[in-house]
Amino acid sequence: MADIEYPIVDRTLPNGLRVVVSEDHAVPTVTVNIWVNVGSRHEAQGRTGFAHLFEHLMFQGSRNVASGEHFSALMAQGGRLNATTWFDRTNYFETVPKGAFELALWLEADRHGHLLDALTQENLDNQRDVVKEEKRQRYDNVPYGTALIDVYATVFPPEHPYHHPTIGSMEDLDAASVEDVQAFFRRYYGPNNCVLTIVGDVTADDAFAAAETYFGPLPASAQPPAPVLHALEPLTEPVRLERLEAVPNDRLYLAFRLPPDNTDEFFACSLALDAIGGLSTSRLMQRLVRDEQVATGLSAHGMGFVDGVSLGLVSVDIAEGVDPEVIEATVCEELERFVAEGPTPIELESSMAETERGWLSSLASQDERADAICHYALLTGDIDYVNTFLERVGSVDAAAVQAAAARYLTPASRAVVAYRARPEEPELASEPERQEQPEQPEQQEVQSA
Amino acid sequence: MSEPSATAVVEVPRPAVVPPEPYTFPEGRRRTLDNGLEVVAYDVPGQYVHSVRVALPLPLARERRDIEGVATIMARSMDEGTARYSSAEFALLLERRGVALGTSISEAGLTVDIDVAKRHLGYALDLLRQVITEPAFPATEIDRHRKTRLAEIEQERAMPAQRGAIELIATYFDEAERASRPTAGSRETVRSITRDDVVAFHADNVSPVGGTVVIAGDLDGVDAIAEIEAALGGWAPPPAPGSAASPWEAARVADTRERIVFIDRPGAVQTELAVACPGPDRSVPGGWSPYPVLGFMVGGSPNARVDAVLREEKGYTYGIRSVFRPRRRGGMFLTSGSVRADSTVEALGLLLDLLDGAREGFTDEEVRAGVDFVSMTAPGRYATADAIADEAASLSLEGLATAFTTANLRDMVTLEADRLQAAYRAFVDGRWTIVVVGDAASHLEGIQALGRGDVTVVAG
Repeated sequence: MADIEYPIVDRTLPNGLRVVVSEDHAVPTVTVNIWVNVGSRHEAQGRTGFAHLFEHLMFQGSRNVASGEHFSALMAQGGRLNATTWFDRTNYFETVPKGAFELALWLEADRHGHLLDALTQENLDNQRDVVKEEKRQRYDNVPYGTALIDVYATVFPPEHPYHHPTIGSMEDLDAASVEDVQAFFRRYYGPNNCVLTIVGDVTADDAFAAAETYFGPLPASAQPPAPVLHALEPLTEPVRLERLEAVPNDRLYLAFRLPPDNTDEFFACSLALDAIGGLSTSRLMQRLVRDEQVATGLSAHGMGFVDGVSLGLVSVDIAEGVDPEVIEATVCEELERFVAEGPTPIELESSMAETERGWLSSLASQDERADAICHYALLTGDIDYVNTFLERVGSVDAAAVQAAAARYLTPASRAVVAYRARPEEPELASEPERQEQPEQPEQQEVQSA
Repeated sequence: MSEPSATAVVEVPRPAVVPPEPYTFPEGRRRTLDNGLEVVAYDVPGQYVHSVRVALPLPLARERRDIEGVATIMARSMDEGTARYSSAEFALLLERRGVALGTSISEAGLTVDIDVAKRHLGYALDLLRQVITEPAFPATEIDRHRKTRLAEIEQERAMPAQRGAIELIATYFDEAERASRPTAGSRETVRSITRDDVVAFHADNVSPVGGTVVIAGDLDGVDAIAEIEAALGGWAPPPAPGSAASPWEAARVADTRERIVFIDRPGAVQTELAVACPGPDRSVPGGWSPYPVLGFMVGGSPNARVDAVLREEKGYTYGIRSVFRPRRRGGMFLTSGSVRADSTVEALGLLLDLLDGAREGFTDEEVRAGVDFVSMTAPGRYATADAIADEAASLSLEGLATAFTTANLRDMVTLEADRLQAAYRAFVDGRWTIVVVGDAASHLEGIQALGRGDVTVVAG
């Protein structure tokens, strides 16, 4: 196992802001990364999509910053920046040349403390339109675009925090008012409900001092977070949803309720999903894609959440002329076999090797490392998570993986969403993605090609 | 409670910015191996995943017309077993040490990538050697990759942006050019590819001559060039060199390229737009440095000219992007994105006005912001092993070394408004190739009424 030891220190300001700093002097840039403890799971019924719409408004100006200036001021100094919203959180981040590091903090503090001074109906209406186009572009106008929305709604019960997607519904976006924005800001935004992480070419002392200078004056304005829900048990019998759509091929999603993130059981489920369908040498890949050639694509992975449950997802692109029911039966057979046998030593070794490379790659850049540090500091409280994660996953043994699969990954506990290709109108386009990217958060800005 | 004046507003003054030092792309160590391979090693301390890129020039036009896509099927099948191992055995060899291996084909060549934790570098390089020099190309795996590509073609046809991109190259390039058709092949040509075709294409075209191997990562204690020589130094060039004539000529554009193609997708809730004209390659007279800045000023951010209007003012789009896309010879200026269906006609009209209007030049403020953004983001963009290796490998396929990157950035900071305007005008003359993917029944008449070119409607 690679021995990684990024230097990470933290300090909490009197107003509750936790500041985490990791020095890295390899490149003369600094990343400022803020995770706010609010995401779509906090949204009220009838206001789905609001956390993400709110994130867009954070770029429309604040007390001392004009609309759009957050982007333009930092980009003009060589900053790269964006923001994203997901089920459990919202993050804001920029990587700037070190000489612009304090400007980045000043701009962030202005909007995290004084957004409402600049809020207007016009800005809300404009960004509502932008978000609707984001929804149409990423969900409504592409094949299988709404499949994951169906998955969440099928595997999680109504009114559960993860039942609805972060992008929300058009009706709820239409209903959002200026008063909603004000109430949301007052409830969730403030230094006592977020973590500020600073990574890069700055000393810890200077970083803490700058955080104090710019964020210190903000009041601890956010209300205390609600406690997390009780654990959601696995399904006890299968549920399913069938869609007949203009898609190029049949696709099956099998979803499972997993334990919350940052638990040995969740790590065990992730290793199990790797062996079942995530690795290129996985059981389903070998059987469905290589040997029988009845599937043209396959993925399996866990998505970690904090509020009592996570999501496990297996998806299969089905080859032309193959019966989806036969594929589903095969997947169930392999799930049962895995529960009976547990992982082989080679499967565990491969899964760990892939996990290690993936983890090290994700920490290679300053900006992604800052995001990872901030992620776990906010959601688990552990500032040192990036240094200890591989060791923790490596300590999960075969028996634990088998036990986790037996509890969480059985055929009986599956929720199935089946997208079936409409047979007629062969030239009328449908729309697939080759490999869906389920854990793409909503973003402030399109990524340049 | 009652600490009355403690809530008084504390105003912290806006801090000044200290400009960064000029940037230099990392220097690589170079050696040319006896078989013609050029090796470049970049030591990037703290990068514990090593990135290796083997970039081999290979003009796509070498594909026979009736089996186009053979280069892609070859590339995707190279790790499906070797002289010594079956496909499944080889996959296991990669995965047990966490070796990520990928291959790709572009208009200029084949790239084989490896990313691996530092301590497994030697192991991974031996697998890389086998993939490149002794792939087995089992018939069942070729057949599988052909089927997968055929499924992928259907998926591409279904995605509005990809459907538009396919139509754009078909409209823009002369139909005799390979560039007018998808890199990975079309339905009919992919169906025709046999194992023999793949084996022959590999034997005839995959050669160390002219190729470049890049390695980037934390090389402390690693003699990277020696390790690569040990792995690939014995790879013998083929006996017969390829065609002597220079294969690198700019693809000709179609005589009929100045027009609008409307791909009809009844009921679409958005309309995908793609607008293109010729652009430069990196060897353009006057220098390449203006073009990344121009792309940024026109369509590179929410505050750039296009999105300032279409996104931030009108709310018609999540974002539209402009980019000057160089090829080995010649290039394209492309603007693309999707807009709300009922704004289709107005959005296209505004977009063309903005693109044409940029011929009138840019303000000093726009120029400074654009130059500073592109030049000052370089240290962060090239901070990781994979980014350094990717830049070096892709430049090598254009016949350039990474000294180009440094020189280009140095030139960029000297750009002024008049030079940028001249560079824009050198290519943008108001003659556009336009593809619209949307509901023709609702928007065709309006698009015709814009008077921006003849409109051809094709089925979605």
